[in-house]
Amino acid sequence: MNELEQKSSSSNQQSSPTQVIIPPLAGGVLSIIPGLGQLVTRHIWRGILISFLIISIYGLSLWRLDETDVAFELFPPSIELTDLSRPQEEAVTYALLAMFFATIAYIWNIYDGYACARGKSSPPRLGIVFILLGTLTIGGHITEINLGKAIREIDDIGPRLSQILWPWNPDKILEYDLETTEGVAYFLASDSASVACAFGPVEQPTVEEGEPYLVIEPDCGQPSGQFTPSGMRAEGTKIKVQGFNFIPNEPAELVVKPESVPAFRPRVNAEVITAIPDENGNFELEFNMPNFTIPAEAVGPVQVEIIMRQSQKVGAPYLVEEFWLALEGIVVTLFLALMATAAGLVLAVPMSFLAARNLMSTNAITYSIYYVVRLVMNVVRSIEPIIWALIAIIWVGPGPFAGVIALTVHTIAALGKLYSESIENIDNGPIEAIQATGANRLQTIIYAVVPQVIPPFVSFTIYRWDINVRMSTIIGAVGGGGIGVVLIQWIRLADYDSVGIAVWMIAIVVTILDYASSRIREAYV
Amino acid sequence: MAILKVENLYKVYEDGTQALKDVSFEVEEGEFLVVIGLSGSGKSTLLRCINRLVTPTSGHIWFNGVDITRIHGKRLRETRREIAMIFQQFNLVKRSKVITNVISGRLGYMNPLWSLTGYVPPKVREDAMQALRQVGMPEKYNNRADALSGGQQQRVGIARALMQNPKLILADEPVASLDPVLAHSILDYLEKLNKERGLTVICSLHYLDLVQRYATRVIGLRQGEVVYRGSREDIQRITDKEFRQIYGEEAQRLGGGGILGEVSTIEGATTHE
Repeated sequence: MNELEQKSSSSNQQSSPTQVIIPPLAGGVLSIIPGLGQLVTRHIWRGILISFLIISIYGLSLWRLDETDVAFELFPPSIELTDLSRPQEEAVTYALLAMFFATIAYIWNIYDGYACARGKSSPPRLGIVFILLGTLTIGGHITEINLGKAIREIDDIGPRLSQILWPWNPDKILEYDLETTEGVAYFLASDSASVACAFGPVEQPTVEEGEPYLVIEPDCGQPSGQFTPSGMRAEGTKIKVQGFNFIPNEPAELVVKPESVPAFRPRVNAEVITAIPDENGNFELEFNMPNFTIPAEAVGPVQVEIIMRQSQKVGAPYLVEEFWLALEGIVVTLFLALMATAAGLVLAVPMSFLAARNLMSTNAITYSIYYVVRLVMNVVRSIEPIIWALIAIIWVGPGPFAGVIALTVHTIAALGKLYSESIENIDNGPIEAIQATGANRLQTIIYAVVPQVIPPFVSFTIYRWDINVRMSTIIGAVGGGGIGVVLIQWIRLADYDSVGIAVWMIAIVVTILDYASSRIREAYV
Repeated sequence: MAILKVENLYKVYEDGTQALKDVSFEVEEGEFLVVIGLSGSGKSTLLRCINRLVTPTSGHIWFNGVDITRIHGKRLRETRREIAMIFQQFNLVKRSKVITNVISGRLGYMNPLWSLTGYVPPKVREDAMQALRQVGMPEKYNNRADALSGGQQQRVGIARALMQNPKLILADEPVASLDPVLAHSILDYLEKLNKERGLTVICSLHYLDLVQRYATRVIGLRQGEVVYRGSREDIQRITDKEFRQIYGEEAQRLGGGGILGEVSTIEGATTHE
């Protein structure tokens, strides 16, 4: 105790004139409001940071706790809330833990206020550690980081990922023309079998010699009823179908085509109804007339076509439509990137000369041009191409042109910056030498600057094309045309086979471009 | 008649460096004037003031009766093309061909719009080949400049200077980046131009033996001031006292006619001060 007092008094004597001297205990007391003790003793930044960080952690923790209260009020705990209640429980844990760390930091802050007042402020290691722990704890909750979920549900990505990584399954990528053989019989249906049959018998379609045909028994009746909540329904008329002259051993599917609704394939236990003809091409099948809606305004019974259909793959296989869509998309994307790069190149070259300090520092006018051009390029470059795409879509409507505009704007700014920096980095000696011959500014640029900047310009331009191809896939996703348009549709439709095709095409093109650009760069630099 | 007259020339750079202080001298037509002095003594600044790569703060430079500190634009360019310059680092455009580098010496006489199309009149091309023949390397015309050795690059630099049909050649330490044998061959070219064509040469040099061998007149600079003026005879018998005046107290003479450059402790610094 004695020693402590001596220390504090000696440090007070030694403290520099700029130090505000207050009693050490007062420093601690002031720091009950976080950071105030430090502020008063002229540790301005330390005080501001301590107070801001500690108050922030408390504030964020209380906000997350508050969210849970609201949630509990909306969903009274009487209902099972397995998934909904978990985040709420977590919120309590995380928020309390963060507040615990903040409290330790707060206690340290009081000590630090005391130490600062004694003129013996030490490096704020302890404070940094606990403030950091508190920040990361509450941050983990705010961003809903849930490693447990990530691990538990890892099985879900497997099939999707394999679809995306290998979409080249022949069953999925190839299609055949189908040739169908049908036998048809007519059936009269009404809500009441007796009404339907009063109109019969039905005239069956005429069949040519050798063609498949059907014989049904009976040829009138009622469809199945709707399912009641108890899971029961009135079964429709049981129909016996006999088929003749079908292709032997080739399954035939039942298709029902009422006048009132589109054709459909009835299912029993989720399987379509099929029959396999014997070696003579004959079969026999029984089914109940399925449910379908008979329009209220129908007068008399509805005629239903009962079709047994055999399909055969004929001719050579061809690639699915999605493949061609993706191919069209990647071609559009490539050209989109090419046009944007070309337009960007043409406009960025003059801009870059205006934005090169070494060429523009001749006098006040050129220097102010330099400054303005540089500023504009920095602002344009800091706005992401996706934002430019949204603006361009408002301007010219969705499609590749909007994508070209968006990428061009960004390319001008990005290339202009890279170009102007490579102009600034050139050897000044040749410029001096060319100037000394009496050449004017244009000649100096063409003879001394241009030869020096061609290698970096070529290199940066190709690199930019590379970037633009990759970026235009994203631009497409917001409506800028190209492969991104179909890619984002397939992602939303969960059509992962097609997503895989698109991803493969992007990967192939980017890889080829990457290789080509490195070769061209080697040749030029 | 004096081709060049420098009067009370001052140069203060933006950072406050006093590079030249009250420098005055005259150069007669046909002289081989050598400027000596330590790195940082203002040699490069002085040479660059003469062709206005550097604009002097005050003072006058009369070239053929024209005060070139007062001219701008077209007249400045027309004056510049009569004053060729050779550099320590050669300052060739390294990625361009030798012939293109030589042709660039004629730019002051060519229509600037031609440079946009890359058109070069056949006459200019022929003159460029002739200039290359004069420096003894016509066979290299199609090589890239950076494929040449240092001595060859400096010869291309001289060929470029010849393309200007200059009345005055400024040589800023033309041999400081070359070994002594090459140094002599380069200075021999300059001397030949000086003697045979009567071209006036102003050259900054480091090596005393080279100064004694080539100079018809010498001025010494120290911290931007002229501290020594001597004729060819004077430099042959330069005294230690005069020598120290130019190169500072710590300088030592290496034998008779030793190498001045090696005594200065800050040698090797670049010359763009």
